[in-house]
Amino acid sequence: MKKILLDAREMEHPEPLQISLTHLRTMDDHEYLYMINLRKPIPLIEIVKEKEFTYIIHQDNQQIWHILISKNSNYNLEDFLDV
Amino acid sequence: MFSQGGLSLEQAPPISVVMKFFITASGFGLLLGLYLFANSIGIISHNSYAYNVTITHFLALGVMASFMFGALFQMLPVIAGVVIKMPTKKSMVAHVLLLLGVLLQLLAFNSSIPLLYLFSAIILGAGLLHATTLMVKELAKVQDHSSSSKGMILSLSSFIVAILLGIYLLLTLGGYIKGDAFEQVKEAHYSFALFGWVSLLIVSVSFQVVEMFYVTPKYPSIMSKYLVTSIIMLLLLKLMAIFTLLPTVGIDLILSLLFIVYGAITLHRLYKRKRPTSDATVWFWRLGMGLLIISMSITALGTLTSIDQGLKSISYLTFIGFALSIVFAMNYKIVPFLTWFHLSNQGYIEAPMMHDVIHPKKAKIHFYIHVAMLIIWAMVILFNVAMLDILASLLVIVSFGWLLYHLVGAVKKYNYTQKHTEKMEW
Repeated sequence: MKKILLDAREMEHPEPLQISLTHLRTMDDHEYLYMINLRKPIPLIEIVKEKEFTYIIHQDNQQIWHILISKNSNYNLEDFLDV
Repeated sequence: MFSQGGLSLEQAPPISVVMKFFITASGFGLLLGLYLFANSIGIISHNSYAYNVTITHFLALGVMASFMFGALFQMLPVIAGVVIKMPTKKSMVAHVLLLLGVLLQLLAFNSSIPLLYLFSAIILGAGLLHATTLMVKELAKVQDHSSSSKGMILSLSSFIVAILLGIYLLLTLGGYIKGDAFEQVKEAHYSFALFGWVSLLIVSVSFQVVEMFYVTPKYPSIMSKYLVTSIIMLLLLKLMAIFTLLPTVGIDLILSLLFIVYGAITLHRLYKRKRPTSDATVWFWRLGMGLLIISMSITALGTLTSIDQGLKSISYLTFIGFALSIVFAMNYKIVPFLTWFHLSNQGYIEAPMMHDVIHPKKAKIHFYIHVAMLIIWAMVILFNVAMLDILASLLVIVSFGWLLYHLVGAVKKYNYTQKHTEKMEW
């Protein structure tokens, strides 16, 4: 599985959403988006739910959000969580 | 105005819900400019009371309430996780009643026809109470409140108090009730509307959006936790003091100081942001906070010593400038984002990017127009030159006309993309 890393911690709204949507459109079944953000990206998660992609959201002990998204449901995204 | 097809995100209301309020607000701003212009060249005659309340309510309801309702319908799902079911229908009821109610109210102020006061009290009261109670009810269901969502409840609750007091004032002016407490109610009405509704809403929203939009350091937790509650407690104390005829000077002083501290801390947050470049929205925020500090400093000074009418008028002008600056900043953030977001989510690959919807340079031009307008109005107050009065009115027309033109442009781009470009399933 190829990781597409998006560290959005220093990006101004709505750059993280714009970039992540571009990745989600173009990525294939062997890639996953790994987004790191200071906030829970509610609109992105809603889109991901609607598109029925596989995703996990995790907030680490420093209050940083880790969002992993894939189009392939055969992988367990928790295996790729980097906390 | 909009085709609604394709949007199925549960939490996001259709873009038309927001845009109709924003366009209405800009339209009211434009009408305000025309009213001021007609007044400056002597086309309309009026008494000063009618003139003052007309301008105040053009701004507070026609412009601010319209903008704020539009923004709240959009932001409640994102900021507070609130889902308003059937947003199109519910917002339409609020929108139609607000539009009609404000027009009736302005006509009532300028004609003094009792029936107009009655109708405006009923229609405007119903529209405002419909929207505010709907939002408060949904916000109250939120289980895990942030400082922003709590602040929004308190701000909307303040607005409900201001609306109820406003209905009393309208019925008194129409001669339907005796209105023995008219002066006290009027003071409480203005306090809850300006400090409670407008200012508290901006404060509450800023706790979330300043950090989110501009990647600033967080507000001190003592401020995000206690500022809004402190302001509400002070307003309630002031309400009691007004009706028991006790002096409110001390309360006004503390309120002003709290807003000065808030403005200074927000300016400091914006100064500490990580991006070196600033778009027009950052400048609108900086200007807004600077104007809030000036306005509240004059208010604070007025509680300690007697100040002349000119200085008081500068305090009102800077307060208006503060509120409008923040509203414009939010507009230029929300509209391009929503247009892009909705189209993109519907699968339009050629959806205009945010800077194609309203180019940042256009927002910057509006910033300069806004600054020029405020400077000329300040000169009108200080020097009372007739020609400046005309120029200042024209600048109000240009300012809101500029915004309206770009909002309509955004709507056109949205509709054009839906009609003429291809959708992609992804």
